[in-house]
This record gives sequence, C-alpha cells and structure tokens, in this order.
Amino acid sequence: MADMIQLAERTVKYAVKLGASCCDVLVTESRYSSAEIEKGSMKQANSVLDPGVAIRAFKNGCSGFSSCTGHDSHAIKIAAELAVSLAKSGTPDPDFKDLPGSARPSKVGGLCDKRIAELQPADIVAMAIELSDIAGDDKRITSVNANVSVGETGLALANSNGFSSSQTLSFCEMGAESVARSGAAMFSGFDAGSSRKLEKSMIAEVGRNSLEHAILGLRQTKIQTGDYPVVVDPLAAGFVLSMAIGGGVNAESIQRKRSYLVGKLGAKLGPASLTVYDDPGIEWATGSYSFDGEGTPSRLTPIIEKGVLKSYLYDSYTAGKDSVPSTGSSSRGGAIWSFRGPPSISSSNLVVKKGDLSLAEMIEETRRGVYLRLTYDYPNLATGEFSGLMMESYTIRHGELGPSIRQATMGIGLLDLLKRVDMIGKKSRDAFGVRTPALRISSAKIGGSS
Amino acid sequence: MEGLAETTIDYMLKLGAEFADLRLEVSTGTNIVIMDGKTKTLTAQQESGCGIRAFAGGAWGFSSTNSPTISSLKAAASSAVKMAKVAKARAKHSFKIIGAPAVRKSEEYKCRQKPTDVPIEEKLVFALQQDKSMRALDPRITSTNSRYDDLEVDRIVANSFGTLARTRERWVLGACSAYARSEGVLQRGHASVGSVGGYELMNTEGAVQLGAEAAAQALRLLDSKPVPAGKFTCILDSKMTGMMAHEAFGHACEADAILAGASVLEGRLGSKVADEGITLVDDPTMKNKFGYFSLDWEGVKAKKHVLIERGILKEFLHNLESSGRMGVKPNGSCRSQGYNSPPIIRMSNTYIGPGDWGKDELIEELKHGLLIQGSQYGYVEPAKGQFMFKCDEAYEVKNGEVKQRYRDASLSGVILEVLNNVRGIGNDFLLGDPGYCGKNGQSARTTDGGPHICVADMVVGGLA
Repeated sequence: MADMIQLAERTVKYAVKLGASCCDVLVTESRYSSAEIEKGSMKQANSVLDPGVAIRAFKNGCSGFSSCTGHDSHAIKIAAELAVSLAKSGTPDPDFKDLPGSARPSKVGGLCDKRIAELQPADIVAMAIELSDIAGDDKRITSVNANVSVGETGLALANSNGFSSSQTLSFCEMGAESVARSGAAMFSGFDAGSSRKLEKSMIAEVGRNSLEHAILGLRQTKIQTGDYPVVVDPLAAGFVLSMAIGGGVNAESIQRKRSYLVGKLGAKLGPASLTVYDDPGIEWATGSYSFDGEGTPSRLTPIIEKGVLKSYLYDSYTAGKDSVPSTGSSSRGGAIWSFRGPPSISSSNLVVKKGDLSLAEMIEETRRGVYLRLTYDYPNLATGEFSGLMMESYTIRHGELGPSIRQATMGIGLLDLLKRVDMIGKKSRDAFGVRTPALRISSAKIGGSS
Repeated sequence: MEGLAETTIDYMLKLGAEFADLRLEVSTGTNIVIMDGKTKTLTAQQESGCGIRAFAGGAWGFSSTNSPTISSLKAAASSAVKMAKVAKARAKHSFKIIGAPAVRKSEEYKCRQKPTDVPIEEKLVFALQQDKSMRALDPRITSTNSRYDDLEVDRIVANSFGTLARTRERWVLGACSAYARSEGVLQRGHASVGSVGGYELMNTEGAVQLGAEAAAQALRLLDSKPVPAGKFTCILDSKMTGMMAHEAFGHACEADAILAGASVLEGRLGSKVADEGITLVDDPTMKNKFGYFSLDWEGVKAKKHVLIERGILKEFLHNLESSGRMGVKPNGSCRSQGYNSPPIIRMSNTYIGPGDWGKDELIEELKHGLLIQGSQYGYVEPAKGQFMFKCDEAYEVKNGEVKQRYRDASLSGVILEVLNNVRGIGNDFLLGDPGYCGKNGQSARTTDGGPHICVADMVVGGLA
C-alpha cells in the first residue's frame, strides 16, 4: 500500500507542475472472483485483476479527468497530462472553491475481511453450489441460476492540499433466481445479499428467500385498478428509496433545481416515526468507508429526523457553492471503488430507522391491500412521481398474504409516499444501498389488469 | 498484438483447456459533460487489457488482466484454465463447444472523421452550443445538461478453432437534457443521437437540433397531467414499439435465458407467439446504427436474425456454446462490455417490421385509449414473463381524436400475451434513439424501433 500512496502523491505533484491549480489522484488495485450457476449446474468461474489510476485536475475551477489501466508510470504521465490539458480547455467555474484539506480519516471498523482474500476458487465455487442447492430444494423448482462474488480493493488517494491516505475494502455478494413451474404456471423468486464480511449465513438466507418466493408466486391472480394500502418489502423499499431519498437530497440536483426536494429543508415530509440518515461508518456494510472519494472523513448525516428534512448530501464542490461543510458524500463507486470515472455525489449506507411491527403484524393489520416485494422502477426526481411495474407483488386479503398479482403497476407522488408511511417494521435488511425495514404506505394507486 | 494472442491461446491448450478464446483490447475515449453553461467534467479514458476464457467439460473459466504483456497474459491464461477445471469438477452437465469455421480478418468500421482527429476544443464547442440552445429557447428552461461521448476500440478476438480477427470500431454519442419550470411544476425533456462511425454525426441536423428537441419536450410537458392508471388500448410510437420489441420479446429470445430455464419462450420454437402481422428482427448488420457490428465478440460473422416471422417464433440469439448445445449454427450474437467482462448473448438493432395501417388511421379507429410517445427505459424478467417500459409523453385518444397530454406513464405487459393483442401495425418505420442495454452487470450499445402499433390490454401505471 505504501507504494500506491507514493504513486498517488508523485502523480499529484506532477499534475501541479503541469499547471493544475489543484488535483487529486486515486490509485486502485482490485481483484475479484466469482462463480456462476446455470440451471443448477456450475457454469463459470471468474477471476479479474483490475489495477488503475484516476487523475482529476482543476484549472480556474474547471475539472479535467483522465484514467488509465495498470500502474505503468508512462501511462500515468500521459493520463496526468491529459487531465491537466482538459482542465485548461474547459470553461472557468467560480463556484468551485477547493478540494478537501488534509484531515485524518474516520475510524471505521469492518471495512475489510481478510478471510475474503484468502478464499480459493474452489471455496467460491462451493459457496455458489450450496446457494443453488438451497434455492432449488423443492420438486417444483425447475431451474436455479445463482452467483457469488467476492473481492478486495486496495486504494490510495492523495490531493494537492496534502491529503494522503489509503484503505482496503472487501465485499461478498450473492444472488439467486429460483424458477418454479406447476401446470401452466411459471414464476421466479429472486433474492440477493451483500456485505463487506464473508457471511456464510447469507447463503442460506438468500437461497431460502429465492425458493420461497418462486413457490409463493405460482398461485396467481389479477387485481382491479384502485387505491390500496401497500406493504413494501425492504427489497422494494430499498430500490425506491435509494433514488427517492438518496437521489432526491443530492446537493447538485438541489442547487440546479432538478429535485422535488428543492426548498424543502426544514419541511415536514413524513410522520414523526420516519427517520432516515446516511451512515458510511456502519461495520461491514457495503457502502462504508473511512474517507470519501475526495478524502473527506466519513460521518453520519441526518437526512430526515422525525419526519423533518434536515440535510442534503454534499461533496466538496456543492459544499463550497453553498458555503457549508461537505457531508463526505463523494462516491467513486459502491462496494468496490473504480478508477474509471470522476467522483459524484451518492448516499453511502442510507438507513431507515426501525419501527416496532413485525412484517406479519403489518400484513395482518392491513386486512385488504397489496404487498410489494420487488420493483425495478426509478422515480422521476424532477416531477417527484413514481409509477412502475410491481414485478413481484401479492394480494393481502383478510390480513393474510394471498396469490401473486399478474401485470399490475403502482403510482404515487414521492411526497405522498413519504407522508403516507403509517407503519414501520422492526426487522431491517440491506438492499440496493439502503438498510430498511418494511414500510406500509396507507394508500397508492394500483393499476390492475382485472 | 496478433502474435501475443496466438501464443496465449496455444499456451492455454497446453495447460489442458478444451477450448480457449480471448479479447485483447486497446481503447481511447472522450466524455464531455456541460451543466448549466459550464463544463462539469472533461474526461479522457485510456484502457488496455485482455479477457481470457478457457472451457473444460461443461464449464468456463474467465480471467482478465490490465497489462497486455506476455507474462501477464500467461498468468491470466493459467488462472482461466485453473478456474475452468475447478468449475468443471463441480459441474452437473457436460457438453462440448462445437467447432466453428475459423475467421481470419482485419476490419475497420467506416468513419469519415475519426474522433481522435478532432481537437477537444471542437467537441467542447459542440456540447456548449447544444447547452446554450436549450437555455436560449425559453426562459422557463431553468437547468440544462449537454453531453458528448466517443470511443475508439482496437480489438483482437482469437480462439482455439483458429479464429484471429481484428476489429477497429468507433462510436459517438450526443445527448441533451433540459429542465423546465413554471408555476411550481418541474419537467424534464431529453434527446440523443448516436452511431457507430465518426465525428461527422455531430454535423448532422439531428445532432445540431438536440438541444432544441430536448427543451421543446420539457416545455410541452409543463401542461401535462399524471396519467390515469388502468387497462388501456395503446398506440405506441416507433420508439416505444422498439422498446417493446427489445424488452417484451428480445430478451426472452436470448438463448442463454433458454438454457438457464428462465424464459417463457423455452420449447416454443415454431409456435405462434404473436399476431400474424408481427415480424420481429434483431439485425447487427445495419451499418452505422448504434447496435452495429460485423463480427461478434467470439469472432463469429454477424447476421440478421428474424426472431418472429408472421407471428411464428423462428430463431433465438446464440453464442458458440448455446448454438452447439441447441444444435444450430452460431449466429453472431455474443458481446462483452469490455475485455474485463466475459462475453454474453446480446441484442443489437431490434425492431418490428412495418404493416399497412396509416398512423392517422390507427388513431381514427381508437375509441378510447392512449397514444404513447418517446421511451425512457424498460426492463423484463423473462422467467416471470412480465415486462415494463416507461414513456416520455402520453395523450388521451377519444373517438379518434388526440386530447389531453399526460406524462411519465409506465406500461406493463405479459410476454406471451402482448404480441397477440396487436390490433394494427403502422406503415411507417423509424429506428429510434441510441441506448445501452444492461444485462448481468454489463452494458451494450443498442438501438430499437419499428412502426406505430396499436396494442390492446396494456396496463398503465399512473397516479390518477
């Protein structure tokens, strides 16, 4: 790692010598391995080595970025020259103030599990097979497709303000899709998990969830168009909230007036039971880091406190423009940092504070409604509206989970979505960068095919 | 580079690979992002590396390196063979990669003005002009994004059947987004152009008008209302027809989904799956289109695929493995995002062929429904048989007349039902915007299109 730090520092000096007014350099050394199962059979094992260097240079506030693969000094010099040349070519930007100073990174535990680097290909293959076997353990399952990925990135970041540090980040991710058939009915269940830690218990949990939902979905029904209460599974809540809140509070979107949350700071957005914060310091969570993509120490940022919008997420540029401190939200990628693009603002681990209801209690109290487990639709952050397919959803009748719903959509304004959260579950899980329990929305428009 | 490739393939065979291939790439690219009249980022990318695959029994090993030297390639090759052997030891199914004719060819895709010959200043002027044109159109345009991308890739594909093919490809893309605000309402419009070719695209009328097109759409949407939810008969424009062809059917025709037991089209080859007026094609050989290629990433010659012919399912998209396992000839549909990703089956330029209805006739015949225009994104789960796609604009159609404008409708359908619900196919045809299709964590440049088309029983997601 010392070599990588020195390489980053040397490159910063070179870029400054070339005329950059300020500069940061990221040096990464990533290696990851994965195993893929196709239709219950081991199909492919992968091993990737991916070292690289990213150089961001500024001149008159304009940013030039260049990257190169490998750590070859000649290629890095060319990349530095390109970055500085590009910075000189662009338009001046007086809104850019400065890069972060030389603060000490925060102490964050659980960033790297050394056992991951020690895994042999046969270990990863064995994990994928175990996952597949669990996900296929029912005679109605006709196919299981699954994958396990593990890896580690060593990275060094230096800038022209004297910041220079390193961290090592590991990850373990897996996903399974079980396909079930019964007569003419066909359905697939999906589940996934991720952590910076090698968690063997994840295999059983992901496999069981995938299997259970494939079978659950075989019994199918249609639904009439109307307004229904919706119990949102953490998997669907994570996908929607990562954009609705994580994207909505992006300070760049706010400053450019592109977000539905413009002007809402201090406003009551939801019930007193709704608290959301961004925390890059959670042990073993895949969004955690000790310093962000620009070198700002990681810190917890309250976003919604007891229903009230408290803060946006800032990097150094947007913080300088608003004359506030950066929230350390500059991202170079998710679990594994990449040298391939410039940093941008992102939530790290978005956390929705737990409530006190079990999922069963939320379904029971709903009596008649809809349980949404999975959607892959993005909200429109400009209009503040969400409309999308309920890829996996179930009816709730008489307080019990009913058949899965075919071809149905959900529509709701994002401010209404937050305002109408009236039940919050007590068990959280990590999904799409969000640690969230199940939520109940008191009413949303469901488009049905019945 | 060719010598390095052949030496590495030979080395893998000696190590025990039954089949071996590699993709050795050198690429350079530019990305310019303008926001609100100022450069946000100017990016130059340089990449070089090699992705190597080894096959043994019924399993693959893949490895990649960022250092295309003989020692690094041999190390990656050893790793790939080792991974293949480890995977083979636990594979339940055994099969072989059936030999395909060796392709020995060097090709450079046509390009009048190489992006690498155009100074960054000229590209910057283009992006700045587009950004300015949006804000100049109307004071209600409050925020703007303009983007320019180009990439040049020099790729060698080699395999143990004797293939040694070198392709030099270039593509360019321009895109604009405009945000309009009036009386507390905020709307977004977007437009893009892209092609496999050179910088000459940026001098075309379509490229020069990008900013105006995006801004006009954002302004139009200011008086739109949320779309009502429910089941509707919809007339889709060319862009949405293309999105439906891609999402509703194209993905389910990818043979890897068939082999994985995760497509509702498994076992339906030769069956009627659509209205007899429907012909659905995936054609990578459409020159300059954003999904164009002449050799796929396994070195197989690309060809036009008629997936559905007059309603009958005729063909799947294949790579070397799936074609051998399913007893057909490889049809050149394998691509990878870059050297560091294993190649997988992908679509290219996907479309539904034209019919015989005039667009106005389709509208006149519709008593109550929606006219759907412009595509944002879509996705599908072939194993669940469901898909969705989101439009830019929708219009109420009542008794043959186009009425109220709606925004942001999402449309969903069932793969095995939607193309049987076609009520009319327009006689117009347009291959739509350039896009990127995501699959297994990889993105591939694609485009899609078709005529206007009328489909019954689509479920529309809306707020009203």
